[in-house]
Amino acid sequence: MVIIGGSGTGKSVLLKCILGLVPPDGGTITLDGADASGGDRDAFLKRFGMLFQGGALFDSIPVWQNVAFRLLRGSLKKSKDEARAIAIEKLRRVGLAPSQAELYPAELSGGMQKRVGLARAIASDPEIIFFDEPTTGLDPIMSGVINKLIREIVTEMGATAMTITHDMNSARAIADNAAMLHNGKIQWSGSISEMERSDDPYLEQFIHGSPDGPIETVR
Amino acid sequence: MKTLLNFLAAVGRQMFLLLAGVGRMALFSCSALTHIVRPPFYRREIALALLQIGWLSLPVVGLTAIFTGGALALQIYSGGARFNAEAVVPQIVAIGIVRELGPVLVGLMIAARVTSSIAAEIATMKVTEQIDALTTLSTHPMKYLVAPKVLAAFLTIPILVAIGDVIGIFGGFSVSVQSLGFNPSTYLHNTVGFLEPRDIISSLAKGAVFGVIAAMMGCYYGMNSGRGAQGVGQATKSSVQAAAVLVLAANFILTGLFFTL
Repeated sequence: MVIIGGSGTGKSVLLKCILGLVPPDGGTITLDGADASGGDRDAFLKRFGMLFQGGALFDSIPVWQNVAFRLLRGSLKKSKDEARAIAIEKLRRVGLAPSQAELYPAELSGGMQKRVGLARAIASDPEIIFFDEPTTGLDPIMSGVINKLIREIVTEMGATAMTITHDMNSARAIADNAAMLHNGKIQWSGSISEMERSDDPYLEQFIHGSPDGPIETVR
Repeated sequence: MKTLLNFLAAVGRQMFLLLAGVGRMALFSCSALTHIVRPPFYRREIALALLQIGWLSLPVVGLTAIFTGGALALQIYSGGARFNAEAVVPQIVAIGIVRELGPVLVGLMIAARVTSSIAAEIATMKVTEQIDALTTLSTHPMKYLVAPKVLAAFLTIPILVAIGDVIGIFGGFSVSVQSLGFNPSTYLHNTVGFLEPRDIISSLAKGAVFGVIAAMMGCYYGMNSGRGAQGVGQATKSSVQAAAVLVLAANFILTGLFFTL
């Protein structure tokens, strides 16, 4: 599922509400039919992985420890060697060499940081993965590489993926279904093929990037 | 009349804002203190904080103490000379450094060095979504970021104060012996003989309190920073201001408290 929509329509806030990072103004969040607001937060969060827009890698620790962060502490804790082996395998899966595992995030390019963020998101094999603007700040080729990786990995893992993006190429490459947010509400939802044929004026204006239409261009 | 009411309303609003801020700070501090004593404990983060807050602050504490001790000796000598009391330099340097200047100057240097660094680090982490990332990775930011730093400051600042006291007294000793003609053994004898255990206890207790204040302010303003580079700058500035003022206020209260004991 990809969630599209203009800036400030609440796409990132939606993901943050689900993960409990932002308290929702109203409504309920359910996971497998159960209210997500109560219960064991740790068990709830264990089911999720998230790739943040800017990577959100921890500067003070090397790349492999970033990837294995969850495996080095808490209820998923493994031995250091085991966690390191998993981290290196996940880094390999996203196209990074073991030698890059020892580097610090600041020593990596933007594209590499996204890959490390992706490796961290999948390190504990979560059931649900959130991708917040995965191609922001990347050149078209690197965007294509990241899109392909996301699609492959999500399919391989059999995970549920929810991606926030403005990038329509990314939306088409990653998702099976799409929903468009406008003014804090779902304006349109359907499959990617339906999206291309939809005559919803809001969706049409958004996917064609047209300045003319019902969406105000000065926000 | 309307102008007066508007003025009072503005004062009232500021007062409410101030009280709300104090309340938030108090709740944050309580939360941080409970995270210090509840597991899990992140040993690596605690060790790192001990190194950064304690060990790496030694040079600045040492330099501050030695210059202050030297200047204090000169001031007391010249002031004492006005009523033929030059001989009290060792005693006044000792008591001035141990009871007052040592802990206060260490507290202020820590506010400048450690508080600013903690606030900038945590604020940057917040702006770059690293704090959110910690939460999604099932790690409580208070436990991972705040508790180790506050604990490390509580443990190391009294040690820094003790070292600062010794170096400050040494600064006064050096100046007195080299420039003011004091006999070294007499100076040391007067210094050691004059200090009481409660002087040293008050110095170390002040250090522990100032350490907690300095680390807590850095963490509080970092965790509550605004967005962007301006948010980080504002958080850093506010944290140092708050830590410095609170260190001086706490010093006044603690000094009063130790007077009554």
